[in-house]
Amino acid sequence: MKTQLSGPPSPSETFEPYETMRPIPLGVLMIAVALALWGVVLLFDNSEAVAIGQAERADVLADQPARSDADGASLFSARCATCHQPNGSGVSGAVPPLAGSPFLAGRAEVPIAILLRGIDGPIRVRDTVYDGHMPSFASVLSDEEIARLVSYLRERFADRPAPVAAEMVTALRGELAGGSGWKGGQELAARLAPELAPQPSFALASRAEADPATMRLVNEGTNGSWACASCHGALGQGSETVPRLAGLPAGYIARQLESYLNGSRRNESMAVVARSLTRQERVALGDYYALLRAPSNARPSLGGDIARGERLVLEGVWDRGIPPCVSCHGPSAFGVAPGFPGLAAQHPAYTASQLAAWVSGERDNAQQKLMNGIARSLDDADRRAVADYLATLPPVPVAATKERADDRR
Amino acid sequence: MSLTIGLLLALSFVVSLLALAFLIWAINNNQLRIEQRHAYTIFTEGEAGQVDDPTAEREDDHHFDIERAGIDRVSRLPVLILVASGIGWLVLGSLFGLVASLKLHWPDWLDAQAALTFGRVRTLHLNMVIYGWASMTGIAVALWVTPRIFHTPLRLPRLPLIGAALWNMALLAGAIAIANGWTDGEEWLEIPWQVDIGLATAGVFFVVPIIVTAARREVHHIYVTGWYYLAGLCWFPVLFVIANIPYIHSGVQEATVNWWFAHNVLGLWLTPLGVGTAYYFIPKIIGKPIYSYSLSLLGFWGLALFYSQVGIHHLIGGPVPTWVVTLSIVHSMMMFIPVLAVAVNQHVLVARNLWALRESIPLRFVALGALLYTLASFQGSIEALRTVNSVTHFTHYTVGHAHLGAYGFLTLVLFGAVYYLVPRSTGRQWPWPAAMAAHFWLVVVGFLVYFAALTIGGVLQGLAMLDATRPFAESVRVTMPYLQARSVGGSLMALGHLLFAVHFVVAVLQRPAPHPGATVLSKPAVAA
Amino acid sequence: MNRILPLGVIALGILAFATLMLVIGPAIQIKSMAPTPGLANYSAQELRGREQYVAQGCVYCHSQQPRSADQAPDAERGWGRAAVASDYVYDRPHQLGTMRTGPDLFNVGTRLPSRDWHLTHLYQPRAIFAWSIMPGYPYLFERKSRAGPGDVVVSLPAEHRPAEGVIVAKPAALDLVAYLQGLDHTNPAPARAVRDDGYSERGEPR
Repeated sequence: MKTQLSGPPSPSETFEPYETMRPIPLGVLMIAVALALWGVVLLFDNSEAVAIGQAERADVLADQPARSDADGASLFSARCATCHQPNGSGVSGAVPPLAGSPFLAGRAEVPIAILLRGIDGPIRVRDTVYDGHMPSFASVLSDEEIARLVSYLRERFADRPAPVAAEMVTALRGELAGGSGWKGGQELAARLAPELAPQPSFALASRAEADPATMRLVNEGTNGSWACASCHGALGQGSETVPRLAGLPAGYIARQLESYLNGSRRNESMAVVARSLTRQERVALGDYYALLRAPSNARPSLGGDIARGERLVLEGVWDRGIPPCVSCHGPSAFGVAPGFPGLAAQHPAYTASQLAAWVSGERDNAQQKLMNGIARSLDDADRRAVADYLATLPPVPVAATKERADDRR
Repeated sequence: MSLTIGLLLALSFVVSLLALAFLIWAINNNQLRIEQRHAYTIFTEGEAGQVDDPTAEREDDHHFDIERAGIDRVSRLPVLILVASGIGWLVLGSLFGLVASLKLHWPDWLDAQAALTFGRVRTLHLNMVIYGWASMTGIAVALWVTPRIFHTPLRLPRLPLIGAALWNMALLAGAIAIANGWTDGEEWLEIPWQVDIGLATAGVFFVVPIIVTAARREVHHIYVTGWYYLAGLCWFPVLFVIANIPYIHSGVQEATVNWWFAHNVLGLWLTPLGVGTAYYFIPKIIGKPIYSYSLSLLGFWGLALFYSQVGIHHLIGGPVPTWVVTLSIVHSMMMFIPVLAVAVNQHVLVARNLWALRESIPLRFVALGALLYTLASFQGSIEALRTVNSVTHFTHYTVGHAHLGAYGFLTLVLFGAVYYLVPRSTGRQWPWPAAMAAHFWLVVVGFLVYFAALTIGGVLQGLAMLDATRPFAESVRVTMPYLQARSVGGSLMALGHLLFAVHFVVAVLQRPAPHPGATVLSKPAVAA
Repeated sequence: MNRILPLGVIALGILAFATLMLVIGPAIQIKSMAPTPGLANYSAQELRGREQYVAQGCVYCHSQQPRSADQAPDAERGWGRAAVASDYVYDRPHQLGTMRTGPDLFNVGTRLPSRDWHLTHLYQPRAIFAWSIMPGYPYLFERKSRAGPGDVVVSLPAEHRPAEGVIVAKPAALDLVAYLQGLDHTNPAPARAVRDDGYSERGEPR
C-alpha cells in the first residue's frame, strides 16, 4: 500500500467494491475446527441429560401418594411408630397401644375407618381412656397402602393373618369421604363396632362455632380486602405459596397478622388484608382456623429428595447447626401451641418460600431470630427436600393444637 | 433411544459442516482459476489493476459516472419513496418505543386507553421499526445497490412503487389492528394473518424487480453484497408465509415455529440486508477492496447454515425437546465462524483506513454498525450457552441484545447508507452537514446509555431471580434505575431520529443543485 | 459466485433443512404426546379471558414456562413444576413468553386463586404492590354510583377508592380473571414428558 504523503486520499467515485483473493486466515480456520469439535461433543453429550430428566420426573411421580409400593412394615415404621412406638406399645396415658388392641382384633373396617378419618375425641382402649387425637391418613395413603398397612397391623398386633383387600378400603373411603375425625370411640363404636362399647362420651367443648361476623371475613372479605377463603380455600387448606391454615395454632395465626402490619413479616397482599382487620378480628380468625380440619392437599412438588428431607426434619444436622424440625414443631411436625406452627401437610412451595424468606429477612418475626439462623444453614436442595417431605405427612389433628385460654393474647 | 437422537444430531451436524467446507472449497477453487478475471469485471474495462491507487485515475471515472447516473436515476423514485416510508415508520416506531420505555417506570402514565397499554405500545414499536423502518429502508438500499453492483438499471421500476404503497397500507392496517387488540398473539407475528397477506403480496413487488435485475446483469460475477440480498429476498418471503399460515400448530410446536421464524427474521432477513449493505458501502467509501473473497464465502454460507438453526435458543430450559435446544445452542456458537469471517473482511479494511472515518459520516455509521454486528453476534452466541442463558433469559438483558443487533448494527448501517445514497440518487446535497454529525452523536451516545443500562440492569435482574432467598420484588426493584436510564438513552435516540427525518425532508424538498451529477459525484463521499 | 439459480436453490435448501430440524422434527415428537394427565381444556369463559390475555399483551412481561429446579428456583417461588410440552396442547396461540418483568403465570390459578384479589390487582397493581411496574387496566372496569344486581365490585384499599361510587368489573375483566384462575399445571408430569432437560446433568443429584 502506498504511503499517503499529501493528506488523506480521496477515493474514486467510480470505485466499485470487490474482494481480493486472499486465503482464509489460519486463525479463523482453527477457531472453526475447534468450535465444530465442541459442537459435535455437546450434541452427542445431551442424550444423557434427557435420561436424567426422565429419572427426576419418575422420582417425583413415585413421591406422589397412591403410587408407593412400600410394604406394610415400612408403612408402619414411617407412619405409626413415632407415636405408637416401634413395638406398638403406645405411650402410657397419651397414645393407645396397638398390641392387643380390640380395635385391631375386630372387623378390619374399624382400623381402616380410623386411618381414613382420624380421631377427634376420647377413646377407651383396654380400660384406659385416651384423649384421642389422631390425624387422618386419607390424603396421604392410597387404598392399596392402607390395605397393606392394616393387614400388617392386624397380623402383627392382633394375630389376624387374613390380608385385607384394597377394594374394602375403596368402598369405605367412598362411604366415609369428607367426614371429619371420629368423635371419639363413641361414634366409632356406634357406627362400626358395637362390641367396643362402652366408650367415653364426646363433649362438644373444643369446637367453637365462629360468629357470623368472622364467617363474613372468611367468606366475603371486608371493606377493602378479600375473603380469606378466596385464597386459602373453603377449608383453609391453601395451595402452592398460599399456606394451609387449618389446624395452625390460634395465637400463631393472630401473631402473623400482626407481623404483616408491623412489617416484621413482609407479604404485600397479606399486609392489605391485615390493615383491614381489627385486633379482635385477627384473634377471631386465629381461633376459627385453629379448629378447622381439612384433609391434606399438599403434594411433594419441588423435586426435593424426600429421604434427605426426612433426615433433616427428624434428626437435623447438628454439625451444620440444623436442629431437627420436630424438636420445636412437635412430634410429626404437628406444631406446639402457641408459638410453633404445625408444618405437616403444608404446601412445599409455601414451606420452601418461607425458609427462603427467613434467609432474606423478608420474614423476621421469630423469637430470638431462631428461624433466620436455621434457614441460613439450609441450602436450596435442603429447602426443597424439607418442604417436600413435610408435604407427605398427614394433616394436623384438631386437638393437637388446642390451646389453653391463657396461651392466647 | 435418546442416545440415538444425540448420535443422529451429531452426525447430521458433521455432515452439514462437511458440506459447508466442500462448498467453500469448490467455489473458491473454481473461482480462483476463472473468477480472477470475473472479479475484475466489476470495474469498467481498463479500471482493473489501478484500483489500489484510487486517487490516481480521474479521467476514466467519467465514463463510468454517466452510466452510474443513469442507473441511479431509474431507481430514484422507488428508493426515495421507500426511504421516506422507512423514516416515517422509524419516527413513529421510536415514539412508541419511548412511550413503552417510560411506562416501565411510570406505570400509571397513559393507562386509560387500551390502545396505549404497555403490551400494545411495545408491540407497535417492534412491528413499526422491524417491518416499517428496517425492512422498507433495507429494501430501498437493496433497490439502489443491486443495479449498481450489476451495472444495469433496475428492471420493472414501477413494481416497487406499488409494493411500497401496499406495504405501507398493510402495515398501517396491522398497526391499527394491534392497537385495537386484534393480534395473532405471537412475538414478531402479531400482525393478523389476514393483513399479512397484504405484506406478502407487497413483498413480491420488491423481490421480482431485484431478481430480474440480477438476471439481466452486465457483470458475470456477483459481488458478495448481491449474495446476501438475493438470498435474503429468497428466504424472507418463504419464512414469512410459512410462519403466518394459521391453524396448523398449537402449543409448544407453535412456539418452535414462532422462534424459528422470529430469529430467522433477524438472521436471514435483517442481517443479510445489513451485512450486504456494509459489504458494499465500506469498500465503496474507502475505495479499497475487501480483504478476502474466501472469507466472504465462509461468512455467507456459514451464516446460511448456522443462523437458520439458532431460533430455539429462545426456549432454553423450556418445554421443548432437549435435542432441538442443544442443536440451537451449538449453532449459535457456530455463528462465531461466519461472524469472524465477516469481521476480518470488513474491520481489517476499516482499521487500515481510519482516515476515512474522519472524512465520511456515512462511513462512520456503516463502520460502527458493522463493528456492532460483530459484537451483537458474539454476545448472542455467548448468551445461548446454558449457564449464561439462565441469568440473561427472561430479563431486560435480552432486550439490550436485541437492540444491539437491530439498532446498533442494522439501523446504524442503514443510516449510513441513506446518507450516502440520497445525494447520489437525487442530486441534492444534505443541506446541514452539522445535523448529520449531531444525529450520529445523539444516536451513538443514546444507544450507549440504552445498551449499558439494559445490560447491567438485566444481569442484576437475572441474578436476583435465580436466588430463591431474594423475593421476586427485588428483581423488579433492582432494575428501576436502569429502566430510567434506558428512557434517557431512548430519548436521545428518538431525538436523533427526529432530526434525521427533518433533515431528510428538507434535503428532498430543497431545490436541486445547478449541476446535479457533477456537484454530487465529484465530491468524495459526503462532506463531514 | 456467479450464478443466481444455484445460489437460490442452495440457500432455500438450507432453510428447508433448518425447517426440518427446528419445526418438523419437534412437531412430530410433540404431537405424539398425550395431554398431561389431569389437564383440562379451557371453558368458554376461560377462552374469552385468554383472548383478553393475548389482546392486552400480557405475554410481553409474563412467561408461562416454569423452569426446572436444576436451573432456577421457580418451583420454590410457587410458580410450579417445570413445564412440559404436553401441558400446552390446548394453547393457541401459545403464550410461553420470553420476559419476566413480572412473575411466571403458568400456575397463577393455584398460587393466587382469589378472583377478587385479581380484580383489585388488575385495576391497580399498586394498591397491593407499591413496587409493581405493571400497568393498571382501568378500562376493563367502570365506575358506578352504586353496584347493580350481579355487578362484581372491586375491593380497594381506601387510598385507591374513587371519591364516590364503586368500581365494577366489566365482563372482559371477569373473563380474564377466570382464565388466570384456571391456570393450573401442578399435576405431576409423566416421566417420559418432553422438555429441555439440558440442565439436569448440572443439577445436584437428588
